[in-house]
Amino acid sequence: MFFWVAAALLTFAASLAVLMPLSRKAEGTGASPNEINVYRDQLAEVERDVSRGILAREEAEQARAEIGRRILRAGDGEAASKRGKGGAAFRIAGAAAVVSIPLVSWGLYAMLGSPNLPEQPLSARMTRDPSTNTPAELVARAESQLAANPDDLRGWDVLAPIYIKMQRFDDAVSAYRNALRLGGSSAIRQAGLGEALVYQSGGLITKEAQAAFEQALKDTPEMPKARFFLAMAKAQEGQTDQAASEWKQLTASLPQDDPWREASQTMLARTAPGPNEEQAQAAEQMNPADRTAMIEQMVASLDSKLRENPNDLEGWQRLVRSYLVLGKERDAADALSRGVTALGAGTMAAKQLSDFAAAQGMKVEP
Amino acid sequence: MIEIGHFALVLAFALALVQSVVPLVGARRNDVRMMGVAAPAAITGFALTALAFVALLSAFAQSDFSVVNVWENSHSLKPMLFKITGAWGSHEGSMLLWVLILTFFGALVAAFGGNLPDTLKANVLAVQGFIGATFFLFILTTSNPFARIDPAPIEGRDLNPILQDIGLAVHPPMLYLGYVGFSVCFSFAVAALIEGRIDAAWARWVRPWTLAAWMFLTGGIAMGSYWAYYELGWGGFWFWDPVENASFMPWLAGTALLHSAVVMEKRSALKIWTLLLAILTFSLSLLGTFLVRSGVLTSVHAFATDPSRGVFILGILTLFIGGSLLLFALRAHSLTAGGLFHPISREGALVLNNLFLTTAAATVLIGTLYPLLMEAIAGSKISVGAPFFDMTFIPLVIPLLFAVPFGPLLAWKRGDLYGAAQRLAFAFGGALVVALLVLMMRERGSAFAAAGIGLAAWMMLGALTDLFVKAGIPRVSASTGLRRLTGLPRSMFGTALAHFGIGMTVLGIVSVAAFGTESIATMKKGDTLDVGGRHLRFDGLRPQTGPNFTAQTGTFVLDDGSTVESSKRFYPVRQMPTTEAGIKTLIFSQIYVQLGDETPDGGIVVHAWWKPLVTLIWLGGLVMMAGAAVSLSDRRLRVGAPSARRARSAATGSAGA
Repeated sequence: MFFWVAAALLTFAASLAVLMPLSRKAEGTGASPNEINVYRDQLAEVERDVSRGILAREEAEQARAEIGRRILRAGDGEAASKRGKGGAAFRIAGAAAVVSIPLVSWGLYAMLGSPNLPEQPLSARMTRDPSTNTPAELVARAESQLAANPDDLRGWDVLAPIYIKMQRFDDAVSAYRNALRLGGSSAIRQAGLGEALVYQSGGLITKEAQAAFEQALKDTPEMPKARFFLAMAKAQEGQTDQAASEWKQLTASLPQDDPWREASQTMLARTAPGPNEEQAQAAEQMNPADRTAMIEQMVASLDSKLRENPNDLEGWQRLVRSYLVLGKERDAADALSRGVTALGAGTMAAKQLSDFAAAQGMKVEP
Repeated sequence: MIEIGHFALVLAFALALVQSVVPLVGARRNDVRMMGVAAPAAITGFALTALAFVALLSAFAQSDFSVVNVWENSHSLKPMLFKITGAWGSHEGSMLLWVLILTFFGALVAAFGGNLPDTLKANVLAVQGFIGATFFLFILTTSNPFARIDPAPIEGRDLNPILQDIGLAVHPPMLYLGYVGFSVCFSFAVAALIEGRIDAAWARWVRPWTLAAWMFLTGGIAMGSYWAYYELGWGGFWFWDPVENASFMPWLAGTALLHSAVVMEKRSALKIWTLLLAILTFSLSLLGTFLVRSGVLTSVHAFATDPSRGVFILGILTLFIGGSLLLFALRAHSLTAGGLFHPISREGALVLNNLFLTTAAATVLIGTLYPLLMEAIAGSKISVGAPFFDMTFIPLVIPLLFAVPFGPLLAWKRGDLYGAAQRLAFAFGGALVVALLVLMMRERGSAFAAAGIGLAAWMMLGALTDLFVKAGIPRVSASTGLRRLTGLPRSMFGTALAHFGIGMTVLGIVSVAAFGTESIATMKKGDTLDVGGRHLRFDGLRPQTGPNFTAQTGTFVLDDGSTVESSKRFYPVRQMPTTEAGIKTLIFSQIYVQLGDETPDGGIVVHAWWKPLVTLIWLGGLVMMAGAAVSLSDRRLRVGAPSARRARSAATGSAGA
C-alpha cells in the first residue's frame, strides 16, 4: 500500500514539474539576459589587468577596441523575441507532454517492476520467527551463529548431516572435522566424515575415508554405514567376492526396512556373479562408452561454464587437459587460445596457462 | 524502498523524454512557457534519479538478496564500506551512477543558468535530457539494477575481490564526474549547432565546465593508476591497457578543449574548432564508458554473447557520435569564424598544443581499436601493447612538453618568441644544469635519464618563471614583486600549477624508469634482501583471517626498524586470490614488496622494487587538479557572478579577485 501511495505522489510531483511552467501566464516572464553583460565583464577584466601591470597600455587599447566591435555586432543581432502564444496546438502539445509522464512511467513499470515482492534485508530474515524461515535460511542462521561461536559442538553435529543432504560436501567434511575436533571421536561422526569424503571425491573410497570408517567400527563394530562403505572399498579394489560376502552379511543382519539393507541388496545385485554372465559382459562392454559419454558431458558443462565465467585459470587448465585426455587435440588448442584470450594475453595467468599446456605436450606459440 | 527506487527510475525516464522534446520545440517556436519546462524537469529528474540510487545503496547496505544485482555482487560478510561501494562495482550499478551524475549536471545547468539566453538554455537542457533518456532506456531494458528474484537466495556471490578496495569508493565516481562533465560541453556544442550561432555566453559557460570535468577526470585517472599500482602487484603504474586508454583519450581531447576554450573566450577565435572538440571529447568519453562496460575488450565474442546489450551500445554510440558529427557537418558553415591572430602568439601556441594533443589522442585511439577491428574482421587476436605506444605516443608528446613553458609567456594576438625565450633563459639554464648533474652521476646516469629529468625540470622551472615574470620579478623591488604576485588572477596560478604538475609527473615517470631497481629472491625467516641500497629483513609469514577472506602476511623489517607488510589473500566465495603489496613510502620514493609462491623447502619467493620518486607521478596529478580548482575559483570564470567589480576601485580589485 505504502508503495502505491509513494508512486502516486512521485508521479504527481513529476507531472507538476511539467505542468507548472506550461500553465504560467504567457507574458511577464523575465527578459533574456543580454549578451552585452558578458562583454562588459571582459572590459572590466582588461581594466584590472592594466592596473595590475599584466597588460601593456597599447595591448589594452587593442583589446578594448576589439571588445567594442563585438558589442556593436551583438547589438545588430538582437532580435525581438516573441512571447509564448496560446492556441490550440500549444494546448494539445502541452497536455500531451503532461499526460505522457504517468502513461509512460506506469506503463513501463507495469512491464518491469515487481511491486508485490517485499524487501528482504538479510538481518530481518535472520531474526524473524524460525518457523517462517525456509530450510536454506535456517542453515544460514545456524552458520552465522557458528561463525560467531565456532566452538559450538552441537551446531556442527546438527549441521553436518544437513550439508550432506544439501549436497554441500565440502562444507559437510569441514563440519564433521570440527565436530571431531571439539567432541572427540565417535562412530557417528567418523562414519559421517567418511561418507562426506566419499561423496566429495565423487564416489571413490579414499584412504582417508576408509580410515574414518575403520575408526567408526572400532567404536561400534556393528555400524551398518561403515560396514557398507568398507565393503564398497573392497569392491573398488577388485575384491568383488569379499565385498559381496560382506554385503550378504549386512543384508542378513539388518531389519527389513533399514536403508543400508536396501543399499546392500542393490550393490549385491550388481556384483553377483552367476548365470547372467552375458549381461555382465554386455555391461562391461557398455561401460566404457557410458563412461566416455559421461566424461564428455562433464567436459561440455565445464566448457560452457567457462564461457560464462572466463576468468578462471584452473578451469581452463582442467578443460585443456580434459580435451587432451579425450584425444581431441583441436578442441584442446581451441580451449587454450580461448583461455589465453579470456585471461588477457600477456598476463601472468595467460602465461601460466600456456606453460601448463606446453607441459601437457601441446605445441604452444611463444 | 527498492520498488520505489525502481519506479523513480522509470519516472525519471518519462521526464527525460519530455525534457528532450518540449524545450526543443519551445526554442524553435520561441515560446517561453515551453522552454520553461526544461529547468524544473531537469531538477526533478535529478531528484528522482538520486532517489533510485539511494534505494539501490540501501539494498546493498542491507544485503537484500532479492535484488539480482545485490545477490550477484555482494556478500553479507563484506565490510559495510565495500557493501556500499559494491553498488557501483557492477555494470548495472555503475550505469545508474553514470545517469545520476548526468542528471546532476543537468540540474546544475538548470539551477545556475539564469543568465543564459533562454533558447540556449532550453536547447542545452533538451540535449542533456535526450542523452539522459537514451541511457535510462538502456538501463531499464538491458541492465536493470532493480531486477528481482523470488525466492531470494540466502547469500550473495561476493564482489570481485580486486574491487574490494577503497579505490572503488573514489575512482569510478571521479572518473564518471569527468566523463559526464564533458556531456555538458557536448550539450552546449549541439545546442549551438541547433541554434546556428555561438554567442559570448557560450564560451563563458563551456570553459568552467570543461575545467571541472577535466579536473575530475585527471583525479580519476591518477587514482586509477595508483590503485592498479598497489593492487595488481606488478609494480607498474600504467600498462597501456585498453581500459586505461579508454579514460586517457577523453583526457587528451579534454585537455585540448580546455586550451582552445581559452582562446575562444578571450579572443572569440577558434569557435568552430572548439565546438568540434567538445563533440569529440564527449564522444571519446562515451566510447570509454562502453569499451569498459560492454565486455568488448575481453573479446569481441564475449560482447556478442549478450547481443541485446551490445547492439544497444552500438546504437547509442552511432546515434550520438554520428548524429552530432552530421549536425556539425550541416551547420558548421553557418557559424561565424572569430578573430584573427599571428602564428606566433598565445593563440598560435594553443593551436600547436591542440594539434599535438589531438594527434596523440588519435594515436591512442588507433592503438586501442585496431586489435578489436582485427578480431572482428579477420578473426585473429593481436595485441597492441606498450611498444607501440612508446614508439608513437612518447615522441609526439616530448615536443609538446618542451613547448609548454613558452605558451603562457606569449602575448595574445601577436607574440614575441625571442622575448619569451629570453625570459625563460633562467629556467632553461637550470634545466641544463640538472641534466648535466644527472649525466655525471656515477651510477646509472644515462642520456635518457638526463634528457627526461632535464625536461621535467624545464617544465617545473618554466611554470615558476611564468608566475615571476608576470609579477615583474626581478625587475621590480621584492616587496612590489610579492604584492603583484599575490595579486595575480587565480587562473594564472591555475595554469602554472597545472603545468608544474605535469613536470612532476614526468619527473616521477623518468625516475622510476631510469633509476628503479628490482630484486627477486627466495627468502626464509631472517634472510635479507638488497633493495635500492636498502636492506629488507624477512620476519616470517603468519596467517590472518579477514571478514570474507583468509590471508598469509609476510613482515619485513627495514634498516631503520620500520616494518612493511605484504600479503596474499584468498576469497573463498569467488575462489580468487589477490595480492596486497607491501608499500613503504620514503618521502617521494617507495619500496614495494610483493609475495610470490611458497617453495617446498619452506621459503617464499619475494619480489621487491625500489621506486625512486614514484609518488610524484600521482602527486603531479593532484597538483594538476589543484591547478584546475584554483582556476575554477577565479570569479571571472564563475558565470552568474554579480558585477560588483564595477564598484571596486582598481586598488582593492587586486586583493580579492
